[in-house]
Amino acid sequence: MNVSIRKEGLGWRILRNIILLIGIIIILGPMYLVIINSFKTLEEAGKGFFSFPKALNFSNYAELLSKGNYWRVVWNTALITVGSVFIVLVINPTVSYAIARNRHKKYYKFLYLYILLGLFVPFQVIMLPLTKIMTNMNLLNPFGLILLYGALSLTRGVFLLVNYIEGMPTEIEEAARIDGCSTFQIYYLVTLRLIMPMLVTLIIMDSLWFWNDFMLPLLILNKAKEFWTLPLFQYNFKTEYSFNYTMAFTSYLMAMLPIIVIYAAGQKYIIAGLTEGAIKG
Amino acid sequence: MIGKFLERSTYFLFTVPAIILYTLFFAYAVIVGIQYSFTDWNGISSSYNYVGFSNYVELWNNPNFRDSLLVTGKYAVMLVAGVMSLSLILALSLNSLKKLQTFTKSIYFVPAIISAVTISLIWDQIFVRVIPPIGQALNIMELFQSPLAHPKYALFAVVIVNIWQAVALPTLIFIAGLQSVPSELYEAGRIDGASTFNRFRYITFPFLIPTITVNMVLAIKSGITSFDYAYTLTGGGPIKSTNVIGIMIYNDAFQNLKFAMANAESVILFIVIAVLSFIQIKLTRKGGVH
Repeated sequence: MNVSIRKEGLGWRILRNIILLIGIIIILGPMYLVIINSFKTLEEAGKGFFSFPKALNFSNYAELLSKGNYWRVVWNTALITVGSVFIVLVINPTVSYAIARNRHKKYYKFLYLYILLGLFVPFQVIMLPLTKIMTNMNLLNPFGLILLYGALSLTRGVFLLVNYIEGMPTEIEEAARIDGCSTFQIYYLVTLRLIMPMLVTLIIMDSLWFWNDFMLPLLILNKAKEFWTLPLFQYNFKTEYSFNYTMAFTSYLMAMLPIIVIYAAGQKYIIAGLTEGAIKG
Repeated sequence: MIGKFLERSTYFLFTVPAIILYTLFFAYAVIVGIQYSFTDWNGISSSYNYVGFSNYVELWNNPNFRDSLLVTGKYAVMLVAGVMSLSLILALSLNSLKKLQTFTKSIYFVPAIISAVTISLIWDQIFVRVIPPIGQALNIMELFQSPLAHPKYALFAVVIVNIWQAVALPTLIFIAGLQSVPSELYEAGRIDGASTFNRFRYITFPFLIPTITVNMVLAIKSGITSFDYAYTLTGGGPIKSTNVIGIMIYNDAFQNLKFAMANAESVILFIVIAVLSFIQIKLTRKGGVH
């Protein structure tokens, strides 16, 4: 590969760099506009939308943070994400391990197909009945949402994990069994550690989904303001800030900030995890 | 005694939490949804009647539903075309980059980590604040207002926002595909005097077929079931020009008191997605070099 790259023609290299540069401008341009305008007063933004702010004006930030519900919303989103990932980690590897080691038995074979049937079902089919089921069960709250995410994580999780576990050698598990380990000990001490790479992939994919999801929180939490997550908060404040748009930009930036910080710290794992999950799924 | 019982049923106990959650919140929901589609329930009243297939018959004759399917189809086609071509071009460009490849990739991936709602709101502002001045400078009537306010351009504008976010992941999947091509093949092609295009056509392309399938199916499915972008940017308007099926289902269920009808719409969407998933499984079982 490297050999062939070194021989790429000059024309292609110039074209390639132009393409990539335009792409970067298209991606970072909106980000740039959000950042610079969040530091402007409305008056200053009116004079020059694209220009750099003359002075860093933090009044928008002060106003947004003093309202108090920003922190509440970030806390809700974090709580729901962490809680849902916890459920994902409890139910996905256990059922996948049971299925992968017992595929020859009818019950587990049926269970596998039963869960994989979810691949064929678009979210719209379950979303309407779910609102009724959740209302009847008194689960229109973060706890209910966490349970739903757990249930909805199963199709992809089981598909990825069963394949992964079946591809693993069983010698270590057998050695552990001879040493007197129970099935639970083998799972907990051996298998869970061996499937860590795939679990990390799952955690990354699912956390991003839970953190950014709009539709389920809209259905489950929209009526109760105290439960709002970041996307819901953003959506509901759309009209409130439609006139004061530098304030709107501040809120967009603050909504993106947590995930961008996490991305900056772990981008290598995030990119690898999402690519791997998408290819295998 | 208890220990022995636990040991023998460990595997079974491992399946219990998953079965309970999946059955209640997924399988049961699907069955209830299909059941609702055969009723006349408005979503609020305490009772409802079974009306057979009449919701489906009504949908068949409903021009709004047909329009919505058409809008969804257009949306999906534009999304797939945009995502596939851009992500392939970007993957080829990024993959041949020697310096700063990881850094450039991580910039290109930023849109994929931000929520669709935030992205839509940012682009809404850009459409309002950037497009009209350009339109006035160039004196193009159509661009005097945000394209989202124009029935002719709104759908295109929504798709552009969706593409802006949706290109990142397929690009990386394509890069993974490109890196699976053995470099000896390029050398051999070069020695045989194959042109750049022919090297792409006969060496790169066959290795890319599996990733093309993956990306294509992901894009088609997300196009057909899309909701967040149009709902945030336009709410389905103006004049229903962006009324994709996801929005129609949502509005019929929760705004228009046609809950049962909305369930029938989603069952039809179900059939479309199921057929696509089936084709996807067939395709990924053969195609490609792997």
